[in-house]
Amino acid sequence: MSKHPLQYLELSRRDPETEIPEVRIKHFDEIYQSYDGAEAASQAGRCISCGIPYCEWKCPVHNYIPNWLELIEEGRLFEAAELSHQTNSLPEICGRVCPQDRLCEDACTLNNGVGAISIGNIERYITDEAIKQGWRPDMDNVKNSSKRVAIIGAGPAGLSAADILARGGVSPVVFDAYPEIGGLLTFGIPTFKLDKKVVKMRRHIMEGMGVEFILNTHVGKDKSFSSIYDEFDAVFIGIGTYQQINGGLISEDLTGVHEALTYLIGSVNQQLKITDSNNPYIDLSEKNVVVLGGGDTGMDCNRTAIRQGAAKVSCIYRRDEANMPGSRREVVNSKEEGVDFLFNKQPIEIVGKEYVTGVRVAETKLGEPDENGRRLPELIDGSEEIISADAVIIAFGYLPNIPKWVSDHSVNSRSNGCIEVAPKDHLPFQTSNSKIFAGGDVVRGSDLVVTAVFEGREAAKSILSYLSV
Amino acid sequence: MTKKDAKGLYDPLFEHDSCGFGLIANIDDKSSHWVVKTAINSLKRLTHRGAISADGKSGDGCGVLIKFPSEFLRAVAIDSNIKLDAKFAAGTVFLNPKKRMANKVKKIIESTIKQEGLGLAGWREVPIDASVCGQSAKDTLPHIEQVYVNCSEGMSNETFNRKLFLVRRRAETQFEGLDEFSYIASLSSDSISYKGMVMPDGLPRFYLDLLDDRLEASACLFHQRFSTNTLPEWRLAQPFRFLAHNGEINTIQGNRNWAIARAQHFYSDDLGDISDLKPIVSMTGSDSSSLDNMLEIMQASGMSIIQAMRILIPPAWQADEMMDSEIKAFYEFYSCHMEPWDGPAGIVLMNGRYAACCLDRNGLRPARYVLTKDRHITIASEIGVYDYPEEDVIKKGKLGPGEMLAVDLLKGELLSNDQIHDHIKVGAPYQKWLRDGFRYLDSKLIDRTIAAEPMEKETLITYQKMFNVSREEIKEVISVLASTEQEAVGSMGDDTPMPVLSKKLRSPFDYFRQQFAQVTNPPIDSLRERVVMTLQTNIGRTSGLFELTAKHAEQIIINSPILSQQKLRQLLRSEMFGDSHAFIDLNFPETTDYLSALKRICDEAEVAAKAGNLFIMLSDRYLKPGMIPAHALLATGAVHHHLVGLGLRCSTNIIVETGVARDPHHFACLIGYGATAVYPYLIYQSLHDLARRGNVDRTQQLGRSFRRGIRKGLFKIMSKMGISCLSSYRGAQLFEIVGLHSEIVEFCFSGTVSRIQGTKFSDLMDDQKELARLSRSNEQSLSQGGLLKYVYDGEYHCYNPEVISTLQAAVKTGNYQTYIEYADLVNHRQVSTLRDLMKPVPLGDSIKLEDVEPVQDILIRFDSAGMSLGALSPEAHEALAIAMNRIGARSNSGEGGEDPSRYKNERRSKIKQIASGRFGVTAEYLVNAEVIQIKIAQGAKPGEGGQLPGHKVDNVIAKLRYAKPGVGLISPPPHHDIYSIEDLGQLIFDLKQVNPDALVSVKLVAEPGVGTIAAGVVKAYADLITISGYDGGTGASPLSSVKYAGSPWELGLSEVHQVLIKNDLRHKVRLQTDGGLKTGLDVIKAAMLGAESYGFGTGPMVALGCKYLRICHLNNCATGVATQNNLLRSEYFIGLPEMVINFFTFIAEDVRYWLAKLGAKNLEDIIGRTDLIELLPGETKRQKNLDLRPIIASDHLIEGAPRFCTALRNDPFDKGELAENMLSQTLSSIQNKTGGDFSFKISNFNRSIGARLSGEIARIHGNDGMIDTPININLNGTAGQSLGAFNVSGMNLILTGDANDYVGKGMGGGRIIIKPSEKAEFIPKDTVIIGNTCLYGATGGHLFASGHAGERFAVRNSGAIAVVEGVGDHCCEYMTNGVVVVLGPTGINFGAGMTGGFAYVLDLERKFVDLYNHELIDIHRITPENMEAHLHHLRSLIVEHIEYTDSKWAQEILQDYRSYLAKFWVVKPKAAELGSLITSLREAA
Repeated sequence: MSKHPLQYLELSRRDPETEIPEVRIKHFDEIYQSYDGAEAASQAGRCISCGIPYCEWKCPVHNYIPNWLELIEEGRLFEAAELSHQTNSLPEICGRVCPQDRLCEDACTLNNGVGAISIGNIERYITDEAIKQGWRPDMDNVKNSSKRVAIIGAGPAGLSAADILARGGVSPVVFDAYPEIGGLLTFGIPTFKLDKKVVKMRRHIMEGMGVEFILNTHVGKDKSFSSIYDEFDAVFIGIGTYQQINGGLISEDLTGVHEALTYLIGSVNQQLKITDSNNPYIDLSEKNVVVLGGGDTGMDCNRTAIRQGAAKVSCIYRRDEANMPGSRREVVNSKEEGVDFLFNKQPIEIVGKEYVTGVRVAETKLGEPDENGRRLPELIDGSEEIISADAVIIAFGYLPNIPKWVSDHSVNSRSNGCIEVAPKDHLPFQTSNSKIFAGGDVVRGSDLVVTAVFEGREAAKSILSYLSV
Repeated sequence: MTKKDAKGLYDPLFEHDSCGFGLIANIDDKSSHWVVKTAINSLKRLTHRGAISADGKSGDGCGVLIKFPSEFLRAVAIDSNIKLDAKFAAGTVFLNPKKRMANKVKKIIESTIKQEGLGLAGWREVPIDASVCGQSAKDTLPHIEQVYVNCSEGMSNETFNRKLFLVRRRAETQFEGLDEFSYIASLSSDSISYKGMVMPDGLPRFYLDLLDDRLEASACLFHQRFSTNTLPEWRLAQPFRFLAHNGEINTIQGNRNWAIARAQHFYSDDLGDISDLKPIVSMTGSDSSSLDNMLEIMQASGMSIIQAMRILIPPAWQADEMMDSEIKAFYEFYSCHMEPWDGPAGIVLMNGRYAACCLDRNGLRPARYVLTKDRHITIASEIGVYDYPEEDVIKKGKLGPGEMLAVDLLKGELLSNDQIHDHIKVGAPYQKWLRDGFRYLDSKLIDRTIAAEPMEKETLITYQKMFNVSREEIKEVISVLASTEQEAVGSMGDDTPMPVLSKKLRSPFDYFRQQFAQVTNPPIDSLRERVVMTLQTNIGRTSGLFELTAKHAEQIIINSPILSQQKLRQLLRSEMFGDSHAFIDLNFPETTDYLSALKRICDEAEVAAKAGNLFIMLSDRYLKPGMIPAHALLATGAVHHHLVGLGLRCSTNIIVETGVARDPHHFACLIGYGATAVYPYLIYQSLHDLARRGNVDRTQQLGRSFRRGIRKGLFKIMSKMGISCLSSYRGAQLFEIVGLHSEIVEFCFSGTVSRIQGTKFSDLMDDQKELARLSRSNEQSLSQGGLLKYVYDGEYHCYNPEVISTLQAAVKTGNYQTYIEYADLVNHRQVSTLRDLMKPVPLGDSIKLEDVEPVQDILIRFDSAGMSLGALSPEAHEALAIAMNRIGARSNSGEGGEDPSRYKNERRSKIKQIASGRFGVTAEYLVNAEVIQIKIAQGAKPGEGGQLPGHKVDNVIAKLRYAKPGVGLISPPPHHDIYSIEDLGQLIFDLKQVNPDALVSVKLVAEPGVGTIAAGVVKAYADLITISGYDGGTGASPLSSVKYAGSPWELGLSEVHQVLIKNDLRHKVRLQTDGGLKTGLDVIKAAMLGAESYGFGTGPMVALGCKYLRICHLNNCATGVATQNNLLRSEYFIGLPEMVINFFTFIAEDVRYWLAKLGAKNLEDIIGRTDLIELLPGETKRQKNLDLRPIIASDHLIEGAPRFCTALRNDPFDKGELAENMLSQTLSSIQNKTGGDFSFKISNFNRSIGARLSGEIARIHGNDGMIDTPININLNGTAGQSLGAFNVSGMNLILTGDANDYVGKGMGGGRIIIKPSEKAEFIPKDTVIIGNTCLYGATGGHLFASGHAGERFAVRNSGAIAVVEGVGDHCCEYMTNGVVVVLGPTGINFGAGMTGGFAYVLDLERKFVDLYNHELIDIHRITPENMEAHLHHLRSLIVEHIEYTDSKWAQEILQDYRSYLAKFWVVKPKAAELGSLITSLREAA
């Protein structure tokens, strides 16, 4: 029971092997290996089980991290998987795509130079391995309430809501316009970060829990929202954000300028052999590619382009490296794979006639922090230059694009275009229409997968309470 | 009610007293005035054991109980024209000074005399001189008369006295409530009492009778009181009618409650019907007076006083394997019918036939006796209470633990302990009765099926949710108990809200705070002194004490009250109970209300008991839809009280089958409120589930291990209150309730202290309904918990991630704005402490910040809390000291000594702590302190000791603590020199002798009654008092101690402040509080509640980088704050003194901000101004039902009385004249380092002799500076307590005579020699020459005593070398270094907790194998072949002993060394190498 108290000092942090850049850029498979059981156990055993689990505090879903670390150390895999699912509906996915170095692992007490616990990799190991060994969520004691809830959008918020509802004895039916579940998990995130087999397995598990998926169904086009609204006991909207933020740059419509999402989806479609006229495959091999934006989406574009065989990939960001919003790990991966970063450069104009030929940028310096504490870049006069390019990807982020059927059902939105939830006397994530709930990016604006998971789960708890089950 | 009407927190029930006592008797019953005169003179020589009130004249009371002086009384009666018959009685009666009331009471007494058929002879006004009294005694002075009663002809003395008893009781019941003056001090034909609120030297001047030569008696008890209160109460002076008592009756609450429950069993043919005299045993007054009542009724019913006393205060017979089986049977038989009244107690008692003295099983009070040639025996707290020529002494000795010594005045015999046993064991065929009647339940060795019918998984989860089991609890509490057989250890404090403040679902058990002993009585070490403790539980029917039949032995005996499935089944199937039990379902419909449900349960219990069922099973085992379980604790308390009230409780037993009992505290609560035994079925089911999931070693018997863990926990909880036997704990209600409404307390827990209201039945109902809802919901998992560790959405923690990270950011950057953010987080948190419901109200208009006193003046009021080097890393410890010194505040060394290189610079801790382990406490350590703090208790684990595990004892720590690296160090639960309040006074006196410049501070933990304790502490001459809250931190403590003991400081501080003002003591002492103080606002509130100084523990630690990881006990603190690991300290410790300076400066600035806002110029304007506190209504229903008015009440306020300390220091009454005289004679030889020889006469009232000189030497030259030029002090006579305390090198004390307790306490060097006078005719090797607890905490030096030492010789010795000729019990306990040679018998439990050093014991009677504690030590013979070194070492010590003491016995041994050598044992820690003992000793020297 009692372990060696100084294990964390004597055994240093060790992440699973990463494929070397020269090899991994030749394919689209995941670059990290997995722990084996012994490694997972010994790394988990480094946890000192703090009186205040800062990791759990910082985690948006508040995973019981020290507790499942201990279970893994003791080799109790299925219990760890069970516990992991108590706070997170998609732990194997979060283990892959969360920026742990900004969240749990950043907060880890041992991140004071000793070396934080490799929480993400262990999280991923737990569910991957448990599923491999036959673990499935225990639904034995669920009493079915005969209530049904429609979920619009099979992204992380929707899936998480479905998970909680199914466990609560409510039958969830998930609608999605795409041919696969996952939303951006499937289509937005490159396969080298998240193998789509993982999402498929999750679908399999959820169907086993009684979740019904109705795919290739665009609500509002293929099926009217009103019919859904009337048929179900409650509705959850988790349709995400797909409206690209316009950089306001001159000549954004030149040929060779691409939206990040369209580009990424096209690439995934190509791998999954899906044809989708809205998101065609964009081949940037041999191209001189410039990616605008320093978030995780930007990094995904960088690395996709590298793998497509781009001649050169440059990433332009208006602040310095320390102030980048994306995961540091992804920046490192990009650099290793050959991406050239240009910091403190503000894009002003896309240059070219019909085809793009470059991006005009200006040098910046960081000014005073704004009300959120982030330092705003200020332009330095006379510092403009043109970076040549024959393909430009714009990755400035996304805004929600609320369909009309939402407002038609007296669901209010906020000024920034997001759906408003929890107005006075309403439950968390309940909209102004009591029967309709919403969560994820459509409520917050584009954010992390894990926050969408959290909101989907919390919304589902409200639905259970609304339905009195 | 307005604030002014509210009653404060003081309750007379909280008062304690303790004292000096004694008895003188002529064995042949020869009367003389000499006996009376000597008794009174002896009393004077015990003055230092009593206390003096603020007027300087009133004592706490003293008195004598004189064997009936019939000649004298007859003579003075004649003077008063009273006609007496041949046989008569007299009584001392206190009456109202107002004639009318006095006459009324006299009439009552007269009529009861008549009622009993006795003749009133008359009244005599007792001549007194009131001018002797101090003002406060004068104010309450009664009119005192003697009443004379004639005995009818032919009536036996027994009958006469029985009737006099009835007269007194009947009269008392009539004038009770009528008049508070009236009191019958004695009424008997056997004895008469003279007592009052005067100092001992005033007693004979007050009662003129006492000076009258005609007053002759053959025996006399005397008593001097030290009370924690000063409101004079004449009636509370002792002796009572039969006894005088030194110490406390720890078990008093249980004893009183059971006395009520048993009331109908006090019937006896002799006494007749006495049902009108209830309560027989007083529920108020002092514990001793209740004991006196009990003794009286037993006697009146025809039992001999000696037998009665032995039944009430038995020795620790259970574990005594050497005890005669017949006497064991006697004790065992009576244990079925009377629980022990356990001390610490030294009792002297007397009736017409016997005069006797006895000690309780722990022997924590001293009792020394002298028998002289003229057949007078004197027994007293001290030896040498009168001057007898040494050559007249036949015998001197002491009473051991659990022993009794008696004089049979009728037969003229002195009865030893064994002789007394021989007398009482033959009263009945106890052994045969027990053999026939007792049934033992045995568990089979293999008990693998812990739950015979395991629940289905989902059923189990439903149950776990219904009873609010969390995953955290399963992991941290239940499975730890079941796998390690003990509680989990944790660190840091409890920073969660009390349940009444919480917004989460909390267990009703959480409202109960365990009481613990501090100062007035000691806790027991349940690990090292297990021999005195027992959990034995008898199930059967309790019967009358006075009927002796075999039927009374029909009992089932179990060794623990925690039942296994097996035992429960055996019980249910047993012949005795098979058809004699009733099942009562605790589940009730959700639609009824809680109170009616409990009433239904009580009614069912009543019916069952009346039907003759021998046990009642209260059960929540069978949950049903639509029903919820009444909480087992509420049900148990309610049923117990209901049955007690009906006189049915002793006819039946309460077995509780419940899912709510999970940790030791839960079991303690159930038993404390009356449960006979508990069957925790849900635990067994949960453990079965754990085993099913394969989480544990399947071969382990989890249920059995769990029960063992709980048993240890129960021992610990009982020992905190100093209670040895579970039967004395059962029903004793030793808890404080914080936050339950009186509607619950009165119905279920009546009599328990509960002061602030709160949660009502309806709230508990809501909680249980919510649990029921959750248990039935689809949500499958248990809640994570969060009570111990922070978890999102769990219980609120005051030290949460936001608070910690913001504070650390603030102190690191020095940014005050960030501090403000932090302060806002704290000040605007959800209500988590009582002070969060208080808001300061301005004095007037706000003032400008610059008009407020400067930061510097506020900073000096800040102390850092005692945190030892050992708990903290040296870097953190020094950073803290440097910071505090730089800002002019004080840091606290904590327990564990201090490196002398820190004494004279900014790394010095100005406060030096002295705790129960006395680690590193030397004269030099003490003289380098500004404040010496005696840590009585700490908030995280009051009433408990501690242990520094071996892996934390590195070279540095070992050196400072005079120990060996890698060897674990134990801090005992009690200070072994503080078993009562006058002992604390003695320690304070010792410290003030060694360092007259230092202030002495006493650290207490808040609990009900802490106010009266503090009053006692002030009267013991402390200069400062710290009141800690329950939320204090710790480096390591069992979890249930962190969670369940101690009260919020708001209650404790306020109670202390109120009581001190009430007693006119507040101005004499500085009050400090600590416990979770975080911001300036906290300081403001603490000031308003009465504190003038403020302690911070966790705050500055967090400032130094602590992240509240709660892993201090593992020595792996990742922040390098609380670890000794080199790598962690050097690489990861980020703390700097500046961070601490920032922390305190911020808080001081914050205080200034608040003062300005409140319109106060300085803190003094608001200290003690509870009128400036506005109570807030609270956020939740239960918070709104709180009544915090007692905390801010002002009923104690006296117009113009000081609200804070105005005295510079609190100097003792005893000026230590001999010590000052010694200093003036030796000073130049100290200053010039010349040494020399000096001689003085010494008496028992010359205390701490040597300490004054040692302190002076240490101050000038350090511990070892005089080693080459010693000062030799020759003393002649009897030394008072603490001879040679904190002795240093070069200080040699040579005493001819004998000495009292604590010789060589804290000795660090030099030599103490004690030898009998050459004229003495007694045999020194069989005679006690020094008292108890000698060499406690010694770190070096030599002691040679030609005679026996008392109990606990060389306790916690870490370096002294001693030779004595016999020792009492518990010798060498917790010893870590040094050598002890015992040339004679030892008591039991030798070497318990001994981790270092060694001993040689001469075992002539071959008994030692059974006497030593086998846990940590082993013993070896010295054989010349392989133990040459020991042979020579021992011989050289014996030679030295002869050289210094001329011991005849040692000479005899030496003459025949080879043959005696074969009878010696070498005693050493198991871990130590036999061969290296002497070498390592040399290295240490």
